[in-house]
Amino acid sequence: MTDLFLFQLRRVGRNKQYLFFTVLLPALFTIFFTQVIGGQAPAGEFQDLAGAVLVSMMAYGAIGAALGATIRMAFDRSSGWLRQLRVTPVPAGSVFAVDVLVGALLVLPSLVVVALVGRFVNGVEFGLGTWVALVGSLWAGSVVFVALGVAVGLALDAQAAGAAIGILGTVLAALGGLWFPVEMFPDGMVPLAHALPSYWFAELGRDVAAGTFTGAPVLVLAGYGAVFAAAALVVARRRPLHAVAG
Amino acid sequence: MPETPALDVRGLTVRYGDVTAVHDLTLAVPRGETVALLGANGAGKSSVVNAALGLFRPAAGTVRLLGREPTAALQAGGVGAMLQHGGLPSEARVGEVLALVRRRYQDPWPLADLAATAGIGGVLDRSVDALSGGQRQRVLLALALAGAPPLLLLDEPTSAMDVEGRQAFWATMRDLAGRGHTVVFATHHLDEADAVADRVVVVAGGRVVADGSAAAIKSRIAGRTVRFRCPGPRDGLSGLPGVTSTGGEGDWVELATSDAEATLRALLAGHDALPDLEVRGASLEQAFLHLTSTADGALR
Repeated sequence: MTDLFLFQLRRVGRNKQYLFFTVLLPALFTIFFTQVIGGQAPAGEFQDLAGAVLVSMMAYGAIGAALGATIRMAFDRSSGWLRQLRVTPVPAGSVFAVDVLVGALLVLPSLVVVALVGRFVNGVEFGLGTWVALVGSLWAGSVVFVALGVAVGLALDAQAAGAAIGILGTVLAALGGLWFPVEMFPDGMVPLAHALPSYWFAELGRDVAAGTFTGAPVLVLAGYGAVFAAAALVVARRRPLHAVAG
Repeated sequence: MPETPALDVRGLTVRYGDVTAVHDLTLAVPRGETVALLGANGAGKSSVVNAALGLFRPAAGTVRLLGREPTAALQAGGVGAMLQHGGLPSEARVGEVLALVRRRYQDPWPLADLAATAGIGGVLDRSVDALSGGQRQRVLLALALAGAPPLLLLDEPTSAMDVEGRQAFWATMRDLAGRGHTVVFATHHLDEADAVADRVVVVAGGRVVADGSAAAIKSRIAGRTVRFRCPGPRDGLSGLPGVTSTGGEGDWVELATSDAEATLRALLAGHDALPDLEVRGASLEQAFLHLTSTADGALR
């Protein structure tokens, strides 16, 4: 399985669009939001704001990385590659497992790069334990979006899947309060934000960063994770990976 | 005890919703034989190949490849396949794709020789996304051959190849067959079946309508069509010598015949004028229809 894993990793690594949207863009946003908005903040509030932007952008990058890596399954099905693999001795189940694993692993560079930018460009100061807990908890929580990406990737054909990566990532980020905090939302949109897994994902990060850990984000995320995983299983049964597209 | 057939299909029925693509089809291919599944588009050839490879569960029937369930035979590395809707991964190099599949076999075909045989020696370092249609098809061939498997199942393998590519491809297949590999391929080209196969199985409407040596099949389906305008009465046309079926639209009459010369002589003797008379080779579709309507199949 190692060879298949490295093979898939190398393929995603060659996709410049993926690297741009999951690593470079969240890093640039981290600098942009902090310096532009934070430039007008009173000196005492700058740290809080830089910390909040950092957590939001880590969440944004992680969601994009998890969705982007897993929805790619749709491309491999539409191209016929998964059917082709099916008629070789490569075990069918390992292909699926590797895609999930690659999706989960690729969240990490996105989280780490944004964290480094937050620390060294924006001067966010957490203790080492907090940094590790922040990256670790968001990495673990990103499994929810890996499951969502698998469900979507299995359900859609290549073209729709390509669009879904961008649309889902944008909607989850914008409406979940990752680009602009929910406190800035009009009252009517707050319940919507609170209904999205992206909000609770960032909330998990905020809790860990502030050291005020409550169980709520974990419970909500676990619920979403279970729903997405169940959806993925249902779709997988209806549209096997090796089925002809359409 | 007779050896297990390389391909053993019994009572295979394939349905897509309400459409039955394959009806209770039985086919056994002994080891070492080269067999063409010949049929028009939509005849059910691909359904037979895909079901044989375990790509979907048939409505009824059993398939054994080298004596095993399809998935087990594939996992064991005994079968190589080219699919009509097979594909290659984007953002990968040809050599990487080949390595990924080759290492799954215990005794893979040596790389340099495999690349030379498939005609992809020059593109191993190239990205899959930069290949031409013919090159992609040759890479897919290399994947099918990667384990030098005893059984090859090929669904319209030359569809994206140019003339030279086809010739090289069939030379490779004949060479493999000569070394004892079993080759089963689907095609809608009678000449391909004729040039390569020991045995031709004609499939129409999801059934085997003829099964025999290439020469025997060829003589049966190499009929002619006689076509002309006939506004008047058409009595007695079906009784003319050689005529196997009659048809046509509007003023046109179409006679399928196994002996065009005799049919024409009789026609000319009986008619003063035969406007727009044409004699053509029967299309494969017509030939298959003819076989379906007249034959019970077995030639051997």
